[in-house]
Amino acid sequence: MGKYILKRLGLGFITLFLILSITFILVKMLPYARPIGGDQQQIAYFEKQYSLGYVYRFDYAKDEAEFGEPLYVSPVQNGKANYYYNIPALKQYANWVKNIVTKWDWGYSKSYQPNVSASVIIRSRIWVSLRLSLIASIISIPFGILLGIWAALKKNTATDHTISVLVMVGISIPSFILITFLLRIFAYKLGWLPSTWPTDSAAFGTKFKGYIIPVVSLCFGRICSYCRSVRAELCEVLASEYLLLARTKGLTRRQAIVRHALKNAMVPIFPSILAAFIAIFTGSMILETLYSIPGLGRLYLSAITLKDWDLMFVDMAITTAYGMICGIFLDLSYGWIDPRIRMGAKK
Amino acid sequence: MEKRNIEFKPNDFELVNATAKIFDTKLDTKPTTFMKDAIRRFCKNKSSVAAALILGILILMSIFVPILSPHDIDTVKTPEKFLEPKLFEAGTGFWDGTREKQHIVYDTVNEVPALSEKYSVDNLKASLVSLTVNPEPELVDNANPYGQGGFIVLATDSKVPGRDVYMSSKRLSFNVKDKYRLHVVFSNEEGVADSRLGEYRVYLKYGDTDEDILVLRDFSRDYSELDVDLSAALEAAGLNSLNAQLYFDVKSSADAYQYVLIERCSFTAAESASNLELLEEASFEDATAMINNADVSSQGYWSCTGRKGIHNSKLYYCDYVIDTYMLVYGNGDLVRYSATDLQSWIEKGWCSYDHKVGPESFQRLSDECPIDEVVSQEITGVTKKLSAITARGWNYRALGYKEMPKYLFGTDASGHDLFKKLFSGLLTSLFLAVVVTAICFIIGIIWGSISGYYGGLTDLLMERFCELLGRIPWIVMMTLFILHFGNNLGVFVVALVAVDWIYTASVARVQFYRFKGREYVLASRTLGAKDKRLIFKHILPNGIGTIITNCVLDIAGVIGLEAQLAYLNLGLQGSHSFGVMLSENQANLSVYPFTIIVPSVVMALIMIALNLFGNGLRDAFNPSLKGSD
Repeated sequence: MGKYILKRLGLGFITLFLILSITFILVKMLPYARPIGGDQQQIAYFEKQYSLGYVYRFDYAKDEAEFGEPLYVSPVQNGKANYYYNIPALKQYANWVKNIVTKWDWGYSKSYQPNVSASVIIRSRIWVSLRLSLIASIISIPFGILLGIWAALKKNTATDHTISVLVMVGISIPSFILITFLLRIFAYKLGWLPSTWPTDSAAFGTKFKGYIIPVVSLCFGRICSYCRSVRAELCEVLASEYLLLARTKGLTRRQAIVRHALKNAMVPIFPSILAAFIAIFTGSMILETLYSIPGLGRLYLSAITLKDWDLMFVDMAITTAYGMICGIFLDLSYGWIDPRIRMGAKK
Repeated sequence: MEKRNIEFKPNDFELVNATAKIFDTKLDTKPTTFMKDAIRRFCKNKSSVAAALILGILILMSIFVPILSPHDIDTVKTPEKFLEPKLFEAGTGFWDGTREKQHIVYDTVNEVPALSEKYSVDNLKASLVSLTVNPEPELVDNANPYGQGGFIVLATDSKVPGRDVYMSSKRLSFNVKDKYRLHVVFSNEEGVADSRLGEYRVYLKYGDTDEDILVLRDFSRDYSELDVDLSAALEAAGLNSLNAQLYFDVKSSADAYQYVLIERCSFTAAESASNLELLEEASFEDATAMINNADVSSQGYWSCTGRKGIHNSKLYYCDYVIDTYMLVYGNGDLVRYSATDLQSWIEKGWCSYDHKVGPESFQRLSDECPIDEVVSQEITGVTKKLSAITARGWNYRALGYKEMPKYLFGTDASGHDLFKKLFSGLLTSLFLAVVVTAICFIIGIIWGSISGYYGGLTDLLMERFCELLGRIPWIVMMTLFILHFGNNLGVFVVALVAVDWIYTASVARVQFYRFKGREYVLASRTLGAKDKRLIFKHILPNGIGTIITNCVLDIAGVIGLEAQLAYLNLGLQGSHSFGVMLSENQANLSVYPFTIIVPSVVMALIMIALNLFGNGLRDAFNPSLKGSD
């Protein structure tokens, strides 16, 4: 098992490394966007970039030849100006990884909050996104599973049909449409809930109310998709022979379902929970924009709009890494939930 | 046990069929094919059939509405923005192009609601379906242009003793003989935010030093009316005439901000006084009007060193229902037309006009004539020729419509017909989704069949590649595509394919794994069939139903993806798309909800229909469900 975990983690990190390398190079190939602000800010930015190894500064002592188009030329001071040049993307990438590993330095924002460390910006925003994602998971997983179990146990009754119709509608309607309707009804028409994310200084009650629309719109689709897969799995298990055997040997229906059916039905459901967990993170991007939640998703969009590629890349890296790590942990949890699956066992 | 003997005789037996030959009887049931059976089972599923119908209607509309609708959705027509959806005539109360608003500031002068856009008052009155004015005014502490009454607040801006503030008029001249009077009404109302009624004085200042003043009321907390005979005061001070400013001082205090409330201030004088007009400008009867005029540099201007504001200004509110079409296309605005325009109408026989007689000579001869009456005419000085007329007419004619337009779903911020925009957007999105899915289908089948059929190392490598690509979040992939290659339909197709094909390929791969080990494939292989034949003749036809139904479900996914991108400001540019339309209208949610609600409903409808239809197809084509119903 230990060997398997190590192998899985190792593979995961290789994949992560490859994805980040590809995206880094692709991001670096985007047209260069100058930082905003006056010369003071630009000098500070380029000096920082130079010290971190993302640009090259013309060295009067060593270099003689002309390198080509400089990224930035500082105003003349003491009779000379500093020339900053781009360096190859792969070299920058190596430096980026080195800086993170050795100094935990994730680079600097160019135009979103000029010269502020990306990790500071991310840190101020990651919690809102994570909190929303977690709350939505905590609510939607039990609700979805319970609803699915209920529908499966009442198969082909009015309850089942009602739940199925609701689930169909819930899965089909995109989240942004749902937010639109929720905002229209509860925020504008009835005025019960705030129409945008409350500020930090808002009262506790308002803050609490501010969570309702985002969480509901995140949960709705999730609950429906969990419910659908749980129902399908459970129906299959309930029709299986071993469950009949369980009943024949004297277990009550309740015992048979709780001890045998549920546990087996849960195994295939885990991947969908994993997928949903990651999707909540990216899916909240639209929600964050529409509800102006200061989270990672909106940061990503602001970074794109302001052409702050460095910040965008850090955001990308975190989102990707988050998804990968979730995937690894969920793979590992298969062994725990179903002992038949011996992780990494030979055929 | 009793013993029984049974005897058989040859006559006990007879031939069943001694003369005729036995043939298989023909089957009574009709033969069926896989497709026919699938269709039959699909038709049994009521909800899927309904979904297919809705889908069909929506697709037909998206093809025909953009062709048949005459409305222009490319040029921006700002005056026609945000017209409400209209199906019935105005006043029917439902879907009639009217807008209901509550608690809107009421313009007491023109007796109409105060709208942010400027419409002519006549037209506004004609457009109102109903209007309820709240008889009780609300007291507000800001100077609304439609407010009235209230008090001027003159307040200190520091709590340091000695930092008195004042409000002063422009310089006015007074003399003894013209009977100048000053009448000021103060108020002792409490209730100005974090301030307290304070000590004040009133005086005329005629020189540069602090001693050159004529005190009318010294520092006190006396808030009664001040009615002074200025001429008498001048006489008492031994002055014949005076050129001075009126000052109100408020004494600052350490414990709180101090203020004084002035309701009215008026100067009067005998008719013989020379500066009556100036006095009138310096006087104010209505405090709100005075504050609203504050930035006008005239005699009415009062300068102030402290905080000058308004307290308890009366503002009336009203609820109204207004016909937005009448407002925009109605009768009322005066429009200036050139003489050439008029001449062309006369030549077409729409109207007649004689500029020598003047506006009265205008006669409307045809319904096509854009104007109803001529209000005035302009004649060039030298040639005495008509150069232009100012006319009143229905605005829709001026905007180039034959009759008043009617928009089923209303218009958006650019004045575009939402009905047409919605369906042309739907067409683009459906087209995009179908093209993307078709390309994904082809790539997916090729990739999936190679990977699934050959297995082994080939499969392993291809699978790793897919996993690597699949692990990149779709938003990252799309962003990079759009940022690198620009934003147009072609790039969008490629980018969406890049995100989507992995899914189709994995479905195809699974199908190949499922069928390649079957006996009939083995049999065919034993007979010497080549890979190509096995793939295309034996495995693919069996698996293709599942792949196709997955593609149908994928269409809904691509439409959703496109809309999500639009919400992330990465939407398709250069052509109308459904997602871009949705995201553009999202901003109007609070004020003009119809612009987003109707498209949202259509979006939800098409997604539900596509999913139901796809599920129905999947169930119908799923061989394992055959005979289960």
